[in-house]
Amino acid sequence: MTDLYLIRNAIRDLTRPKKLLAALALIFAPGLLVYIMRFIKLGNGSGHGHGHTAFNAVDIYSLLSEKVVFGFVMVILALVFCTSVVAQEVENRTIVYLLTRPIPRFRILIVKFLPALAATLITVWLSLVFTAIAAYGFSGIVDSPLTRDLKMAPLGVLAYGSVFLLLTTLLNRPLIYGLLYAFGWETWVPNMPGSFQKLSLMAYLRVLTPHVTSEVQEVDISQAFSSVSQDNISHHMAWVVLAGTIVVSFVLSLYFFSVREYVPRDAE
Amino acid sequence: MIDLQNASRWYGQVIGINDVTCTIGPGLTALLGPNGAGKSTMMKLVTGQLRPTTGKLTVLGEMPFANPKVFRRLGYCPESESSFDDMTGREMVTMLGYMAGIPASVVKGRVTEVIEHVGMTFAADRKIGGYSKGMRQRIKIAQGIIHDPDVLLLDEPLNGLDPVARKEVTAVLHGLAEKGKCVVVSSHILYEVEQMTQNILLMHRGRLMAQGDIYQIRSLIDSHPHRIAITTRDSRRLASLLLEHPFVLSARFDASDDTRLEIETRNPDRFYALFPEIVLEAGLVIDRFYSPDNNLESVFKYLVNE
Repeated sequence: MTDLYLIRNAIRDLTRPKKLLAALALIFAPGLLVYIMRFIKLGNGSGHGHGHTAFNAVDIYSLLSEKVVFGFVMVILALVFCTSVVAQEVENRTIVYLLTRPIPRFRILIVKFLPALAATLITVWLSLVFTAIAAYGFSGIVDSPLTRDLKMAPLGVLAYGSVFLLLTTLLNRPLIYGLLYAFGWETWVPNMPGSFQKLSLMAYLRVLTPHVTSEVQEVDISQAFSSVSQDNISHHMAWVVLAGTIVVSFVLSLYFFSVREYVPRDAE
Repeated sequence: MIDLQNASRWYGQVIGINDVTCTIGPGLTALLGPNGAGKSTMMKLVTGQLRPTTGKLTVLGEMPFANPKVFRRLGYCPESESSFDDMTGREMVTMLGYMAGIPASVVKGRVTEVIEHVGMTFAADRKIGGYSKGMRQRIKIAQGIIHDPDVLLLDEPLNGLDPVARKEVTAVLHGLAEKGKCVVVSSHILYEVEQMTQNILLMHRGRLMAQGDIYQIRSLIDSHPHRIAITTRDSRRLASLLLEHPFVLSARFDASDDTRLEIETRNPDRFYALFPEIVLEAGLVIDRFYSPDNNLESVFKYLVNE
């Protein structure tokens, strides 16, 4: 019953109107982008004849699922939901109630982490589904890479979620450091040449969810750099690194949460 | 039940508590001190939220930090007003009751019982976010006693309570103390504590300055000169009348306000007993009468010889 109450409390917090609206926006935004791009491409292709290619479902889905769903929606949700597991309790000063109860601390962390993971995963899944429907239509989904992406999404959510969980158990302002990591480090490092990309979780995730386009169009300099050594990461290595990150981050989170002091700053 | 041996806690360069040694047994004990004295730090140490930097601390024979064994028998009512604002009072107490290890079969009845005990039945099913300060205090006390702990710590529990609620909460705490529980209440208001218990721990700047019976400590303090400020239009006449008595040590006039007189006495009880008689016989009109020393800060100043 204790766990159920904690989970219920966590779900109630995750479904606050602000968070719910943000999640809904993230679910529908990529699909909406598909429609906008379809509209632009069709308009340009049919009317003006500037040499633009016609709407290509494979290209559009690949671009949006990689850059928007995996690259943004998943990362930002994992960041917000998973860092709030501890940080929000400290900020609201309710952590004292949880940590002075006869329950091992690791259990509290696990019970609060699971709803955060579930909320992130469900949002990512729905976002992928709507993007695929918008790009391929209902009939084309079967032949799309959607199924593979849906299967790989839990791995990405777990990897980022456990890293952000570690941040929240270790740092006082995990959201700030998480943002720097997610949209600084994870944006640039996968596109770096040589072995740099091996320091990014996104690079490994991209190996497991390769989003290939039908033809090479405009390639920016960062993509050109990354393509030089993209093949250096094998599927096996990607699995090992992501699984290792999950296990190590999660175990360290449990350890730090069990031994660290969590007292709201101004109460000291 | 609670034992501190040379316990110190530092927050970097800032001192929380410094070399505190004391034992707190069953009964109601007040942890008294001005803001910043180290009361909350001591509470957090005893409730296992913090570890001592040096020294030793045990509660019920065990180190309390992150120790479920201790938490099973320890209740805590934090000072912070923050709570689970989206929950109703009943939901919060129920959740924390489950977390305290109360079996599911009895938790509902127990929740109703403690909520009634703290006088919150009327608002138990309302969201905590809409509670007044006093209601929050009561529901916090309810969650602290839900599992019938042997040691109960309450950080400034009377803050925000009206006089009737104060009396009721004090009665609840006395009831627990009479059952042999160790109840520790922190406060920075001497008067509030005097109404509650005689057994106090006096803290100042992180140090434990005195421990024991409040009246003994007060009598020690009373041996120091006690200041009394009086405002009257005939302050010079009053000063000469008061200085005739041996227990009045000195009289001083305020340079900026000729009507304000401050006297010092070594025997405040005798002074307070005789003062009305002196004033009535002389037919003086007193506009204001108070003692700047009748507050906790002055008590500490005396104790630290400032």
